[in-house]
Amino acid sequence: MTINKSKLSLTLFFMKGSVHLFLLSMISTLAVSLSEMITPKLITLTVDSIIEDKPIDASAAAGKLAIRLGGAEYLREHMWIMAVAIIIMALIMGVFKYLAGYFGTAASETLTERTRNSLYFKIERLPFSWHTENPSGDIIQRCTSDVETLKNFLSEQLTSIVSTVLMIALSLAFLFGISGTIAMIALLSIPVIFSFSFLFHRLIRRRFAECDENEGVLSSVVQENLTGVRVVRAFGREAHEIDKFTRQNVKYTNCWVKLCRIMSGFWAVGDLIGCVQVMLVILAGIYLCIGDKITTGEFIAAITYNSMLLWPVRRLGRMVSELSKADIAIGRISYIMNAPEETDAENACPADGTGDVEFNRVSFSFDGKNNVLSDVSFKIKSGETVGILGGTGSGKSTLMQLLCRLHDLKENQGSITLSGVDIRRLTARSLRQAVGIVLQEPFLFSRSIAENISMARIEGQEIRGASDIDSDMRKASEIACLEDAVNGFVHGYDTVVGERGVTLSGGQKQRVAIARILLRGAPILIFDDSLSAVDAETDAKIRRAIRRELKGSTVIIISHRISSIMHADDIIVLDQGKIVERGNHSELINKNGTYKRIYDLQSADASESAEKTEMEVRI
Amino acid sequence: MNENEKNAIHLPFFGIPQLLPYLKPYGVLMIVMIIMGLVGTAMDIIIPQFQMYAINNFIANETTNGIVYFLLLYILVIVVQTLSNMISTYLASKAELYVGRDLKQKSFEHLQTLSFSYYNRNSVGYIHARVMSDTNRIGTLISWELMDAVWNSSYVIGALGAMLAIDLRLGLLILAIIPLAALLSWMFQKKFVTLHRQIREENSKITGLFSEGISGADAIKTLTVEDKVGKEFSEQTNRMKTVSVRSAKRRALFTSTLSFLSYTALALVLWRGGIVSYEGMMKIGALSVFMSYATGIMAPMQWVVNSISALVMAQVNIERFTSLMNTKSDVSDSPEVIEKYGDTLNPKCENWEEIRGDIEFEDVSFKYPDGEEMVLENFNLKVPQGANIAIVGETGAGKSTLVNLVCRFFEPTKGRILIDGKDARERSQQWLHSNIGYVLQTPHLFSGSIRENMLYGRPDATDADIMNALKIVSADKIVDRLPDGLDSQVGEGGGMMSTGEKQLISFARAILSDPKILILDEATSSVDTETEKLVQDAIGSVIKGRTSFIIAHRLSTVVDANVILAVRDGKIVESGSHRELMNKKEYYYSLYKRQFEDEAIEKIEKI
Repeated sequence: MTINKSKLSLTLFFMKGSVHLFLLSMISTLAVSLSEMITPKLITLTVDSIIEDKPIDASAAAGKLAIRLGGAEYLREHMWIMAVAIIIMALIMGVFKYLAGYFGTAASETLTERTRNSLYFKIERLPFSWHTENPSGDIIQRCTSDVETLKNFLSEQLTSIVSTVLMIALSLAFLFGISGTIAMIALLSIPVIFSFSFLFHRLIRRRFAECDENEGVLSSVVQENLTGVRVVRAFGREAHEIDKFTRQNVKYTNCWVKLCRIMSGFWAVGDLIGCVQVMLVILAGIYLCIGDKITTGEFIAAITYNSMLLWPVRRLGRMVSELSKADIAIGRISYIMNAPEETDAENACPADGTGDVEFNRVSFSFDGKNNVLSDVSFKIKSGETVGILGGTGSGKSTLMQLLCRLHDLKENQGSITLSGVDIRRLTARSLRQAVGIVLQEPFLFSRSIAENISMARIEGQEIRGASDIDSDMRKASEIACLEDAVNGFVHGYDTVVGERGVTLSGGQKQRVAIARILLRGAPILIFDDSLSAVDAETDAKIRRAIRRELKGSTVIIISHRISSIMHADDIIVLDQGKIVERGNHSELINKNGTYKRIYDLQSADASESAEKTEMEVRI
Repeated sequence: MNENEKNAIHLPFFGIPQLLPYLKPYGVLMIVMIIMGLVGTAMDIIIPQFQMYAINNFIANETTNGIVYFLLLYILVIVVQTLSNMISTYLASKAELYVGRDLKQKSFEHLQTLSFSYYNRNSVGYIHARVMSDTNRIGTLISWELMDAVWNSSYVIGALGAMLAIDLRLGLLILAIIPLAALLSWMFQKKFVTLHRQIREENSKITGLFSEGISGADAIKTLTVEDKVGKEFSEQTNRMKTVSVRSAKRRALFTSTLSFLSYTALALVLWRGGIVSYEGMMKIGALSVFMSYATGIMAPMQWVVNSISALVMAQVNIERFTSLMNTKSDVSDSPEVIEKYGDTLNPKCENWEEIRGDIEFEDVSFKYPDGEEMVLENFNLKVPQGANIAIVGETGAGKSTLVNLVCRFFEPTKGRILIDGKDARERSQQWLHSNIGYVLQTPHLFSGSIRENMLYGRPDATDADIMNALKIVSADKIVDRLPDGLDSQVGEGGGMMSTGEKQLISFARAILSDPKILILDEATSSVDTETEKLVQDAIGSVIKGRTSFIIAHRLSTVVDANVILAVRDGKIVESGSHRELMNKKEYYYSLYKRQFEDEAIEKIEKI
């Protein structure tokens, strides 16, 4: 439960810009607590001295005030003065309550805003390898629930910690002022109530986690059933599904019921301890009153102060137990915040994408053992079109990720140069602006198609012939054969895609991504199997349009469809991280190797048409 | 995409009558819960009386006579209070959880009977929320909200009664404040509900942006749009902050006004009560108790209002749940069929006939429930046992329609489909489904091991059967490569496997179930070329003796089919054998040519 320094400094980092709000919130909370303490004093004074005719205690502040206002006699005649005094107190209290509520939220929300922004910017600056190593669900969890936990702790606990401690201290002080015996009873009960509350929250936390887990399982059972509904129906396994669901539903429910049984028991015992403590205070008060040690007014005040003590103590126990929860949360957040960011080399220079691309003896491995690429060397001349063919796991995508520096090559892993400069000596940003890549599973943002296409546009790199962003976009969609699809939507280019809008088919997504890259006007274009979901005819049409419109660009096409790459100036065949064949289409066909074999597989059957006997089928 | 909220039903009485059948089993439990809650409240009201009694009897008379009985009674009350609170809270959580569980169960079971048109109309996320969150909200409503309402309203009523009993005039004074406070709460509460909803919306947008920023990291990096998305993100977090602070201001204004009101009440009591008491008409003890009631009544009042607004908010949940339960399946078995063949939950397998696999479309016309146009009109096709039908066409042309009808995922709008000479509707869906093997283009695996997924096809298969099936589609290599073999976990939705691997495993799963009717819906589209070749060779032997439908993208796989149906824009435009269609030189011919037209494309390129 110890907060180590890095976590503390991280918390302070997040608090930058909200410290004053937190302080104001603490002060207001304190003011509320104090005004809540003064009111009983006023009541005691009224009941004791004014109504019951006891001498005013001139040493207390309220007493002084009462004397200045004209003494008991005068106040008795003008009872409204006391009422007005209380109402004024209530007004002051109301104002501070408002301020406490406002500052508290403003503080925690400012902090959360900063935390979220810091996390988001940090995540975008982390190297791609970090993203592949960490499951996205887990990162999202850290960015949402853990931030929420931290926020709740700081907003609910931190802002009130000063007032809670002070309330306890003041209540005790007042109690000691009234009667040492009563104060001792109250004081002794504090450790009991505190540790009970602390242990309780400690104990149920683990069970909470267990129930949460069960809920997660139940939720994914439903999720899987819904996404796999076709499979369930096709196999007629509804009963099995219901059975699976029922078991988990019962397990989940019983887990909670058990937790609730424990909780209701603990709550009750907690209440019981509180009630017994109050009873003891009343009992002691009776004897003290009878023994004339305290006045009736003091008796009533003692009970009030005692009740003011109970909640803060229970609260404190809870707070300490929550602290450990917040500690875990901040630890999980710091995992992200402390990860090393992607950096450029010192004196990194901007990339020039108009030159040749060269891979020099590139070897690469993710885990340090198995090489994904071994000793790959080739050169792509500026303006050439190169096709890369290879099976699953041949390393063709890794090759392109290296070119975009999504992964960095180490010193001994060879080098990649662009226009003769080692890409490690270029700024990552300029390199990625020079190299436009369309990924195999393109990612679209959940906004309109127009925004998706135009968001990657770089000023000064517009494709030729188009002057403004709108016609630019239309030109790009035309090349990507996207126009017809877009025109088919009711809202055209304003159609929102993803979660909140229409779902695009794989081919449509790929074409949006292609249009997006075209609009970018990068001198080097990579299509990483990005026409796989488009039919062969459209594929050919797009490639033709690209050739026509983007003369002078270097184009790299990765595919396992021969027809997509057969017209390239140069074709590289990769197998298990090595270049096995290289040449243009006719050279490779003549070589009679892997390329030829795949070519035959894909275009076979044309000759061996159906000479089979046909069954009696009538239409 | 989801069933429009506009179509939602509106129920009288907040939809509570709809819930009654689900509450019935817990009637006794809920009554005990309420009684215990009332007992607890009664004790809450009694406890301050001990304080009054102590002041008026022991302290005023300076005697401790009878203090033992006083103490015993006090302890008794505390114990009763503790027990009743414990029981009522426990029962409330039980009611919450059990009703939630039953509602989940019913909705899940109902979902298993709904036809695909429902699933096509509603996104998975939407349906998921109906099963998981709506039921939880309803559970909370009928337990905690109910308890809160009972506790607080009874406390308010009880305390008012006590105050009136102590002093009528002062009591009436307090009573006058209540409507004012209630009105205030009501006004604020309405605003809270909308603000709360807004906050949740903004929050879910933040989560959405986070997930976009994380899962789209490679796209963001390669597009170098970090600054752009970062700016949008900060705008969103700022919006969230603005809304939250606005809501907090409202809430703070509300609580401080309410607290001011309650202290004003206190001041009034003190002023009037002081005069009354000074004149000797009211005991000081009574005054102090009266004051504690007067202040204590304010918080419960606020809670009563809270409960009411919770009920208003939960109405939406109840309506959504009810509309789900009221949704009728487009495809359902008639009572006679259920009588004979059983339903989803209790299939009467003993009455199920052997299937042969003759399928006949007889004057079938069909349009999708949400569609405008007929996609089939007076369609006739006789598929004898063992025949192989291929369906070809471009992506999105509607190739799955026929298969959906064969599987009875949809019913024909007109005409009928005969299976072994009998109308499909004369036998249960389960009977039919248990005889069909369907391999989907987007394969779905369930989290668990490969074995568990394979057994989905045939629960009693042995490991040898499983390996055999895997071997047929060359998926045994996948299993061999994994460290845990058949016990290897596939992850949620099969997420730990590649699409190609998932396709092969789901293909093997269908083979294992040894169906009489086999449907391959682009079953190997994501498998690499060489493996696909192996699988294609295997298909020939797999479909032997089975009636099969093959939907294919790559035409080389369908040339052997008995009948090829070419689909365009949702309609069947051509049918016949490969040779017939090639000779016809129309749509199929052009499709076929296009795919192997490399030479031609090359020529165009070179111009």
